[in-house]
Amino acid sequence: MISRGLKPYTKLVKMEDPSIHEKLYILSQAVVMRDCKAVKELTDSMVAEGVDLFKVLNQGLIPGMLEASERFRRGEFFIPELLMSSRALKIGIGILRPLIQESKEDVLGRVVIGTVKFDLHDIGKNLVIILLEGNGFEIIDLGVDVPPEKFIKAVEKNGAQILAMSSLLTSTMSWMKFTIELLRASGLQRRVKTMVGGAPVTPIFAKNIGADAYCREATSAPSVAKKLLGIEQKW
Amino acid sequence: MLLSLTLVLYSIRIENMREEIFHNDPIDRKQSNPKLLILGCAVMERELRQFQNGRVEFRFLDQGLHRTPQNMTKILQTEIDQACEGECDAIVLGYGLCSNGIVSVHSQRQTLVVPRIHDCITLFLGSPESYREESAKHPGTYYLTPGWIEKGQTPISKYESYAQSYDEETARWVLHEEMKNYTRIVFIDTGVYPIEPYRTIAKKNAEFLSIAYRELHGSPALFRELVLGPWEKDFLIIEKGHSIQQEMFLDV
Repeated sequence: MISRGLKPYTKLVKMEDPSIHEKLYILSQAVVMRDCKAVKELTDSMVAEGVDLFKVLNQGLIPGMLEASERFRRGEFFIPELLMSSRALKIGIGILRPLIQESKEDVLGRVVIGTVKFDLHDIGKNLVIILLEGNGFEIIDLGVDVPPEKFIKAVEKNGAQILAMSSLLTSTMSWMKFTIELLRASGLQRRVKTMVGGAPVTPIFAKNIGADAYCREATSAPSVAKKLLGIEQKW
Repeated sequence: MLLSLTLVLYSIRIENMREEIFHNDPIDRKQSNPKLLILGCAVMERELRQFQNGRVEFRFLDQGLHRTPQNMTKILQTEIDQACEGECDAIVLGYGLCSNGIVSVHSQRQTLVVPRIHDCITLFLGSPESYREESAKHPGTYYLTPGWIEKGQTPISKYESYAQSYDEETARWVLHEEMKNYTRIVFIDTGVYPIEPYRTIAKKNAEFLSIAYRELHGSPALFRELVLGPWEKDFLIIEKGHSIQQEMFLDV
């Protein structure tokens, strides 16, 4: 299934004098095809040409990662492909991030993030971190197996605007509910928004536990986080 | 509140259904002989087959279905729809919630019976309590059973398959990223396999990852109940026309 995409991609990267629109598409496909070298070259070249940094991010890198995630969901890609696409994405974002930070005086917002108690899966959460940082958010990563009290303390200590929780197991997702309950009990829910995601999490579950937002996939995290804080997304 | 009400309604319904399936004739219970189709995951084939009897038909599906829950739902539904045309009184699933792989599954003509568990590890250990206890003590546990070693993947077999598609360094990196939070391998002896060859493989996997190794004795209790009934607190009984929902499992 993976090799099916190779031939057109080989042609794509050899395309002579592509337009900006075409370059963005090739960049997205370079992420899908885990081609770190092409991701670096294309990102560098678009930055040098003065293409809007958020355009490179939101119309090149992120759509590529979204396609890789969708293929994973459909069983066409497996863990290695997903991880290698994330690595390619990280290279592109690594180029953009310092420039995005330079161009902005303040961070967009502060996000406390972690995988919930008794759950040690962090591939999706780490991808969300790369994407949020790339977009200009400041991240406080609590890691995996994070108990509710630790989430709440971190929110309070860091004055976070967003609390983001991930879970990959149906047996651990209820800890999102317990964490939100504790957030309410501590009176902090007035100043922090919650967002939840992970393979078994559904929009209905997110609504039932009182989360402010649901992320269907990691790639939607930046737009969801911006929406939560009322920040306009340009591209 | 809504969840508790739903659960109460379910428990009432379960009692009625159990009565219907097992005790059609309350005067002579010996005559009650329901025919069952057990549709299960290949990973537990031997553990279930040890309770085989004349009224049970087994059908086992590929072990890897849980990795793509959306496809799993479709495959299970097709199997159930086909089974509907045959003659059986109930279909018992040899599956847990399995990453939502059974959500929305339903049967138009038969009652569905499903163990109320998150995944097969609970079945191998014998109770939701044992699974909860183990997960709480050691969340970073990678479980292996003889069936998993035979029909599924182990960290070593994963690494070997990655190394076939990518270079060694990439394969090592991928496996590290995937496994870095695991702190031990637990090998569950389910009592139906000659144990030594599987134990050796399980130990090798722990050495390969440089993590702790431990053995646990499984229990046949839930496998027995899955095949022979009476499907009490650890099982859901879903009436025909109704579908399995995630909420039914979340408080386990």
